[in-house]
Amino acid sequence: MTPTLTLAEELHRAVGADHVRPEPGQPDAWRVEPGAPAEVAEVVRAASRHRAAVVPVGSGSRPPRVRALGDRPRVHVATTRLDQVIHLDETSLLCHVQAGITGLGLEKVLSPRGLSLGDYPPSILGSTIGGLVAVRTPGKSSARHGFFEDAVVGLSAVLADGRTIHTRLAPRRATGPDLARALCGSEGTLGFITTLVLRIHRRAEARFLAAYVLPSIDGAVAATYLALREEAAPAGLRILDAAEARHWFGAGVVRDDEAVVVAATAGPTDLAACDRDLIASAVRAEGGRAADVELAELWWKRRLSAEPWPGPPPMFQVTATPSKLRGAYHAVCGAVRSAGAFPRAHISRFDADGAVVFVTFVDAKGAPLTGGAAEKLKDVAEAAARAAGGWLLGARSRELDPYLHKLRAILDPDGIMNPGALVG
Amino acid sequence: MAVDPDRVRKDLEAIVGPRRVSLRSVDLDTYARDMWPRLLFARRAGAPYEPRPHAVVWPEHVREVVAIVRAARALGVPVIPYGGGSGVCGGTVPIFGGITVDLKRMATLRAVRGDELIADVDAGLSGERFERELARRGFTFGHFPSSIYCSTVGGWLATRAAGQLSTKYGKVEDRVAGLTLVTGAGDVIDTDGPSRVLGGPNWTQLIVGSEGTLGLITSARLRLSPAPQLKVYRGFEVDNVAAGVEAIRRVLQRGLRPAVVRLYDELDTFLNSFGKGHRDDDAVERGHAWAPAPLPGEGALPVLPGEPDRQEPDDGPLARLLALGRRGSRGLRKDAFSALLSRPRIVNSLVGTVAEKVARKGCKLIIGLEGARIRTEIEAALVFAELERAGARDLGEEPGKAWLAHRYAVSYRMSPVFRDGAFVDTMEVASSWEQLLDLYHSVRDAIGRHAVVMAHFSHAYPEGCSIYFTFAAHADDRGGDERLYDAIWRDGLEAATRVGGTISHHHGVGLLKSPYMHGEHREAMAILASLKRALDPDDIMNPGKLGLVASREGR
Repeated sequence: MTPTLTLAEELHRAVGADHVRPEPGQPDAWRVEPGAPAEVAEVVRAASRHRAAVVPVGSGSRPPRVRALGDRPRVHVATTRLDQVIHLDETSLLCHVQAGITGLGLEKVLSPRGLSLGDYPPSILGSTIGGLVAVRTPGKSSARHGFFEDAVVGLSAVLADGRTIHTRLAPRRATGPDLARALCGSEGTLGFITTLVLRIHRRAEARFLAAYVLPSIDGAVAATYLALREEAAPAGLRILDAAEARHWFGAGVVRDDEAVVVAATAGPTDLAACDRDLIASAVRAEGGRAADVELAELWWKRRLSAEPWPGPPPMFQVTATPSKLRGAYHAVCGAVRSAGAFPRAHISRFDADGAVVFVTFVDAKGAPLTGGAAEKLKDVAEAAARAAGGWLLGARSRELDPYLHKLRAILDPDGIMNPGALVG
Repeated sequence: MAVDPDRVRKDLEAIVGPRRVSLRSVDLDTYARDMWPRLLFARRAGAPYEPRPHAVVWPEHVREVVAIVRAARALGVPVIPYGGGSGVCGGTVPIFGGITVDLKRMATLRAVRGDELIADVDAGLSGERFERELARRGFTFGHFPSSIYCSTVGGWLATRAAGQLSTKYGKVEDRVAGLTLVTGAGDVIDTDGPSRVLGGPNWTQLIVGSEGTLGLITSARLRLSPAPQLKVYRGFEVDNVAAGVEAIRRVLQRGLRPAVVRLYDELDTFLNSFGKGHRDDDAVERGHAWAPAPLPGEGALPVLPGEPDRQEPDDGPLARLLALGRRGSRGLRKDAFSALLSRPRIVNSLVGTVAEKVARKGCKLIIGLEGARIRTEIEAALVFAELERAGARDLGEEPGKAWLAHRYAVSYRMSPVFRDGAFVDTMEVASSWEQLLDLYHSVRDAIGRHAVVMAHFSHAYPEGCSIYFTFAAHADDRGGDERLYDAIWRDGLEAATRVGGTISHHHGVGLLKSPYMHGEHREAMAILASLKRALDPDDIMNPGKLGLVASREGR
């Protein structure tokens, strides 16, 4: 059956003419902004009839990935208008939201009620919740609350044929695989996430900040794991090497080769204090000493964007499991030094999988390197990180790709759902 | 489709040799069932074991598993993975026959990587051996189902099992970092790596809970915790179920993580105190294999078997009530008791009222914490204070220790209840806190129309909790057992679905709950069906389970 309406007409009908516009400079591409999950389903059905690609663009902060789409028409679906809180269940501490609300937008709703999404890195919360969940990258985690995707208790999504699925809400279940997980991380290729039910938290009763100086990066990593083994669950923890610490806090803060640990603990007062003390004793056991708490206060303010960051953002990141963390740090920094540059680095985002090392390349005067010089160092750092057993941002396991392709072929035989994502 | 047993034997022997394949009747009978109570009706009636697998095979290596799956695919016969056989939902019943693959000979603890807190373990390892090996090295997996002596790591993963200490350590799906699966196509896939780094969906979570329908889990990388340095267990009393539920919710939502929380409803509390001190003399005489209580200083698991005179048999308060019924002189006469079970509504309300009056104190709540010494001490103080603020009354350590001592005390023989013509089973549902009391009353009423029913609340999370119903019933007419049994499950599970609960928290689906999977997942079943087609294109893996339509039904 050939459609009697054009794609543009169908999109107008689905979301209203005010919310469809042609993408400038891209023939056969429209940006649509559905105002309800049912409209997403309409858009997908329209796209399906026209064999058009459905490309989720979240709040539109990043340009959509359009490689490998050829000449086929494209519908860029922005979730900008899907930014409502549908239901706030304060009894169960669950929050049902539309996928287009940002983490920060949601915090604004939760905060006056004494609630919070949890102690996740604030830098990730600028993204939409749908985007946070649909794209799996490391660092979306907290030592206190675990991985962000584990906060998803249920979701609704539109499949390629326009059907909407709702995974039922339960704290845990034993009724087959966790079907919501097919949508999490699949970048819109198996379905378009429209709403999510998230676990939320009461705002911590107490929060303590502390800063320490350790004799070395290795000592700092060891102290951190010592405390984590004693079940300390910090709300945030960051290890800064000497160069990074000086950049952040001033030249006099550490001697060469020393490292700074800043930590925040939160929870019921006694428990938050306990976690603070566990970290302090682990630091002492590794030969460290307490530093001025103002360092931690400054870090925390910057983390919440209450103080400007001492930019630029890190140029390179590598994730490593606990046993490979030190090796990855030394390998990358060593390689960068051998290439004639000066690295500074911090380690944060500690979770059950490990942590992330963030590296910035600077010259002898401490000025950040840019352009070709930085790109070359990135290659050097990547090779070193890989050799040390670290995982690079954007790395993918190709081994499971054939199964993902099969799933896609079954759920989406015409290949309309974000066809450029998770390929190659 | 006709299956040629000789051909099956020949093909399997070519893979594993003659000693690890069996077509003997006694083996086929054994592997025809798990511990699903409904299967006992046929046993009690003396019916033959049906359906049975065509063959049982014991592989020792992944490459043998691969070859078995490929052979089965070529023959067009089903493959049913088998671990400890402790499932209670009929998940391993070979409804279309086929090859039952017992993985218990793949039972190596390959590595314990203490610095990563990861264990690399084969699927067939028994829970008990796994936990003992870890304890020796100073770690725990934290998964202590009451079946730990008779279940395997692979079985836990296949069913999304929960241990008694799940409130701290999580369910098994919360503790798995990656696994190896032999798919229905005979391919080996590894879902490892720091999964969040790799992009794409989390395949581990798409395989855990698949109950053998996508492939055979052959090994897993599981997250460990340091062995606990301190354990604190206590009992409390609350006025009623609602007050207890509220107290638990407050504890969990303050960010406190006890290892175990158990709240017994009025009838459960009443029966818990009711039969204590009475020994089930019948059971002792028959020399039942009871798992004994742990001895002081023995760590998490007691040695099995213990000395008979130290064993205190106990298969739950309801069975204790029934046992009293069977002791002619001391309790109700058997026929009178059966008559009572046949009038569950009267008994439920009667016993409920009596229970409330006798146990005027209300409901019992057991709470336990364990972990690193300093943090656990502080957390325990916070938990106990929170409970008391919520109106709970401290009963001291004794009730907590008593629970700890009896937590593996399950019988491995047919319960005396069944021999007497009645039956007992358990139903574990879960929901968010907002729906929980609704779930409790709805399911309790639904089951209570047919059976004497009691419940406890356990496995608590910040957002909700599971409820564990135990029920006993007796059909008046011969052959009415299965009808009554099915009616109880139908009404109970439909009630759970109606109020927004899940039909299973940790026992899994199996055959029992397969008809209710569509009500549970509705349109989302499309995802499950697609997973099935992607990983098991010929539908040979445990067909007819998980609510998936078996292609061979039409053959």
